[in-house]
Amino acid sequence: MMNLSRSVALISLFLLPLLSFSFSVDNPTDRRVLVLLDDLSLKSSHSIFFSTLKSRGFDLDFKLADDSKLALQRYGQYLYDGLIIFAPSTERFGGALDSKSIADFVDSGRDLILSADTSASDLIRGIALECGVDFDEDSSAMVIDHSSFSLSDGDHTLIAADDLVKSDVILGKTKIEAPVLFRGVAHSLNPTNNLVLKVLSASPSAYSANPSSKLSSPPQLTGSAISLVSVMQARNNARVVISGSLQLFSDRLFRSGVQKAGSPNKYEKSGNEQFATELSKWVFHERGHLKAGSLVHHRVGETDEPAIYRIKDDLEFSVEILEWSGRSWEPYVADDLQVQFYMMSPYVLKTLSTDKKGMFHTSFKVPDVYGVFQFKVEYEKLGYTTLSLSKQIPVRPYRHNEYERFIPTAYPYYGACFTTMAGFFVFSFVYLYHK
Amino acid sequence: MVKSTSKDAQDLFRSLHSAYSATPTNLKIIDMYVVFAVFTALIQVAYMALVGSFPFNSFLSGVLSCVGTAVLAVCLRIQVNKENKEFKDLAPELAFADFVLCNLVLHLVIINFLG
Repeated sequence: MMNLSRSVALISLFLLPLLSFSFSVDNPTDRRVLVLLDDLSLKSSHSIFFSTLKSRGFDLDFKLADDSKLALQRYGQYLYDGLIIFAPSTERFGGALDSKSIADFVDSGRDLILSADTSASDLIRGIALECGVDFDEDSSAMVIDHSSFSLSDGDHTLIAADDLVKSDVILGKTKIEAPVLFRGVAHSLNPTNNLVLKVLSASPSAYSANPSSKLSSPPQLTGSAISLVSVMQARNNARVVISGSLQLFSDRLFRSGVQKAGSPNKYEKSGNEQFATELSKWVFHERGHLKAGSLVHHRVGETDEPAIYRIKDDLEFSVEILEWSGRSWEPYVADDLQVQFYMMSPYVLKTLSTDKKGMFHTSFKVPDVYGVFQFKVEYEKLGYTTLSLSKQIPVRPYRHNEYERFIPTAYPYYGACFTTMAGFFVFSFVYLYHK
Repeated sequence: MVKSTSKDAQDLFRSLHSAYSATPTNLKIIDMYVVFAVFTALIQVAYMALVGSFPFNSFLSGVLSCVGTAVLAVCLRIQVNKENKEFKDLAPELAFADFVLCNLVLHLVIINFLG
């Protein structure tokens, strides 16, 4: 009896680490998400967004942002796989949360949706800054656009934005027809940062200023440099969505119709619901998350992987890549995956062809250089996880008995040797028997 | 001045030629063999300059066979030349036998190194 309970305890101790992984390739379902709100009425005013998340199998845990019992980790294990912070005016989180613990949360590979609104506290700005996003310094500024606003609004702060990033992975295959309604603060991205991306940009006529006071100097953030919603995919493939408007996710804007000023098209429903749903699918890895199987390589005609190749060998290379579809691993289909045969610089660079069932393969000749090479697959496509695979393999030169028996370039030398021998023979005859 | 130097060159050449004609026939035969060997070596070097030294061992082997046999022939000429006081007591047959043996060893090595 004691032995049984002890072995059960031991087994569960081994299983415990598996239970609280982030998007781990072994356990991609059972997503627990902590939703931090600064006002519990957000639960009902944003109910459509939360119910779409729940219907996709997420376990939402609503808490006030200053709840003193907040914790992301317990005894070193993370309690949640995702975090949604809809608390733009919170100055300090309660419990064990602060901007450092949230940064650690993202560092562990977990996902985050962060939203500011017409007022963004320093705490929220700080978290966004960690992710590479700069909110406008003026705390009373909002995005104003005098030519791209929604006609239902009076003071031009409800923007009807349709400058979406062109990516089927991030925004789904169906085009979002209606403009997305936005009212909130502007942020900008550092152009040298290649991990952040503008998903919804403002139109060239937008600017960020206080709508209730007269402008004394030209606004700092203007035009398309203003990003309304941005995403960041970290190097460990954690995904972060940062939005300047909490109202973008609200039921009111989900349901409202939109007509952009200056455009004759009137849409019954804004693009907000589709936008928010598709974005949440991307940020929680239901799209665009790739997993690579092992790299397999062998000589043409063989099946085993050799320990060493010889120069000018013909070899075949294949790799299996799967994409998580939200429920299962599906084969990934693309025509731009490339493999390099690399030693300090790629000697061979080939595009892999796919059999549409997830296997990518190609074949090429080992170059005429010997050394220690690597098969490298470095894949960085917009919106997809980065794949960085490599496998080392040495390449040797010809053994001395692998050359042709008689080298054609050396025929004159062979001829010269035999001619000299013949000459010596003739010479000795002539020398001995001349008169 | 030019005329006298060219006349000098001509005189020099003629005297060399007449002196050379006086050498015994067997020495002339050895000289021809040396010229043939060196000529073959030069052809090989020109070929290597053209094509590159890829099977370097074959190149070395070819050139060395020519140069080696030329050197051995020169040694034979020195030993057989009656005007040479140093080898007065050496029988020419012995010199020739040495020449043949050394050439055999040389060609054995050459064929081995030819690859």
